[in-house]
Amino acid sequence: MNLRNVEYLIQEAFIGIWRNGIMAVASISIVALSMAIFGAFLLLVLGSHNFVERQLARFEIAVYLPVGESRQKAIEVRDQIRALPLARKVTLMSREKEWASFKRRMNTEIDLGGVTGNPLPYALHIESKDSRKTSRLADQIRHINGVAHVTDSRETYGRVKAVADLVKILGFAAALVLCFTTIFIISNAIRLTLFARRHEIQIMQLVGATNWFIRIPLVLEGIILGAMGALIAGGLISLGSGYIVNVVQERFPPLLRDISSGVDSRQFSMSLAMAGAFIGALGSFVSIRRFLRT
Amino acid sequence: MIEFCSASLVYPNGVKALSDVNLRVGRGEFVFLVGPSGSGKSSLLKLIYRELFPSQGKVFVAGQDVTAIPRNAVPYLRRRIGVVFQDFKLLPQKTVWENLAFVLRVISVPRREIRKRISEALDLVGMIHRCDSFPAELSGGEQQRASIARALVNNPPILIADEPTGNLDPDTSWGIIQILSRINARGTTVFVATHDNQVVDRLMRRVVALDNGLIIRDQDRGMYHHVPEPESLCNSEPQEC
Ligand SMILES: Nc1ncnc2c1ncn2[C@@H]1O[C@H](COP(=O)(O)OP(=O)(O)OP(=O)(O)O)[C@@H](O)[C@H]1O
Ligand SMILES: [Mg+2]
Repeated sequence: MNLRNVEYLIQEAFIGIWRNGIMAVASISIVALSMAIFGAFLLLVLGSHNFVERQLARFEIAVYLPVGESRQKAIEVRDQIRALPLARKVTLMSREKEWASFKRRMNTEIDLGGVTGNPLPYALHIESKDSRKTSRLADQIRHINGVAHVTDSRETYGRVKAVADLVKILGFAAALVLCFTTIFIISNAIRLTLFARRHEIQIMQLVGATNWFIRIPLVLEGIILGAMGALIAGGLISLGSGYIVNVVQERFPPLLRDISSGVDSRQFSMSLAMAGAFIGALGSFVSIRRFLRT
Repeated sequence: MIEFCSASLVYPNGVKALSDVNLRVGRGEFVFLVGPSGSGKSSLLKLIYRELFPSQGKVFVAGQDVTAIPRNAVPYLRRRIGVVFQDFKLLPQKTVWENLAFVLRVISVPRREIRKRISEALDLVGMIHRCDSFPAELSGGEQQRASIARALVNNPPILIADEPTGNLDPDTSWGIIQILSRINARGTTVFVATHDNQVVDRLMRRVVALDNGLIIRDQDRGMYHHVPEPESLCNSEPQEC
C-alpha cells in the first residue's frame, strides 16, 4: 500500500458518498436524529442532576439570629462563620427582601393585617465544603455567640439526596440503553447501505481487489457520514438547549433559572462527532466483513 | 496454462453443473468453449478464477492449484486473469474510464501510465468516445465492449470471455473476435465461451464442446457443430495427454 493508493482510496470515499447521494443523506439523517435524541437526553439527565445538586447545596445550613438583633451583629456572626474551615459560602439574607417576598406569597391566603414592621430575624445560609461533614459544621456554628437557632438540613437533605441519586442512576441507565439503541440503529443503517452495494463489493473482488482495498474507502465513508450526522445532532442540540435556556431565563422564577447542564456545548458537539465517527468506522468495518466473504 | 483434473461441480441446490471434466489449455492457446444454454460453460470458467470451488477434482492455473490457494491470495490470482463476464459486471457507480482505472489502481500503476493504458484499451474496442458514461447509460453491446476493455487493460496472461459477442451485431462481433485473436497472437491464452456459431466456424480454432456438464468433443480446428469429417478425425489423433 503506497502513497498513491492512499490518495486514491480517500478520493474513492468522497466519490462514493457523492454518487450514493440519497443513501448518504439517509444515513446522515439517521445518525443525526438518533444522536440528537441520545445527546438531548444525556444533557437532560446531566442538567437535572446538576440542578438538584446545586439546589441541595444551596440550603444546607440555615442560621437564625435572635429576633430584633442588629445588622452589625449579623455581619459579625457571618464573618465568624466564614472563618470556619468547613464553610464554603456564607450568605447573609436580606431581611427586607425576604419579608417582601413572604408578604407577596402570602398576600392572597392569609390576612397579615395585624403584623406591622418586619418581624423576621436576620438569617444566614451556609454551604459546607463537604456535604458529609455538614452536621459537624452545624455543631461548630451552634457554639458561636449570638446564634439563636441552626437548622441542619442534613436529615431532609439525606432523604432528598437518596431520591435524587436514584433518579440519577435511573437517568444514566436510561441514557445507556438509549446509547445502545442509537448504536444499533446506526449500525443497522450502515448494514443496509452496504447491502445495497454488495454487488459492487463482489465485482471489486472479482477483478482482483484485496479486501483492504475495498474496505478502506467504505470505512472512511462510514467515518465521514457518522461524524457529519453527529455534528448535525450537536448543532440541533445546541440550538435546542439555547432556546430552552432562553425561555427559562425569561419566564421562570429566579430560583429555577440556573439550569445549565455544566457541559460546554462546543465540547459536547465535538465528543458527539467523535463518537459518530467511531460508530461509523466500527459499524462499517464489522458490516463489511459479511459482504467480503465469498 | 489452465488444467482441469476430473473436476466436478454440484451447486448447493443439487444441480450437477460439471462432471469429471478433464481439460488442458496450453500457454498461448485460443480455445472456444461451446454448448447449449445450461450446459455448464459459465460454471467451468468460474472455476478458473475461483468464483466457484470444484466439488471434486482440481483446477490448475499456471501450475498453481487454485483450489488450494489461501483466501487472501485469491486477488493475486484474479489479477493474472482478465475476465469478460457474461453479465458484464461493470461497477455501476463508476464511469467506463473509472471502471478501467480501478483495475489498474488495484495493481498500483502510476497515474500517467493509467491514462495511456486506458486510452489504448478503449480505443481497441471502439469505446473511447463513451469513456465518461456510466454503465446504465450504455447499450448492452457498449457495456460488453467496456467489459472487454477492462478485462485486457492490465495485460493479463490469461483472458477469459463468457459470451463476449452475445449482444453484438455480426460486424461488431467479428471485430471483437479479431481483437481477441490479436491479443492471442501477442501470447495471451484466450478462453472464450460462446453461442456464436458464425464466429466459431469462421475462425476454425480449437473447440471444446460441453453438454450437460460433460466434455463431448475437443477438436483442434473445430466448428460450432460437430462435423464428422475424416480429416478432423485424423487431426485429433496425435493429441498429447
Ligand atoms: N448459482 C447457481 N446455483 C444453482 N444452479 C446454478 C447456478 N448457476 C448455474 N446453475 C445451473 O448450472 C447449470 C450450468 O449453468 P451455466 O451457467 O454454467 O450454463 P451455461 O452453459 O453458461 O449457460 P448459458 O449459455 O445460458 O450461459 C445450469 O443448469 C444452471 O441452471
Ligand atoms: Mg453462461
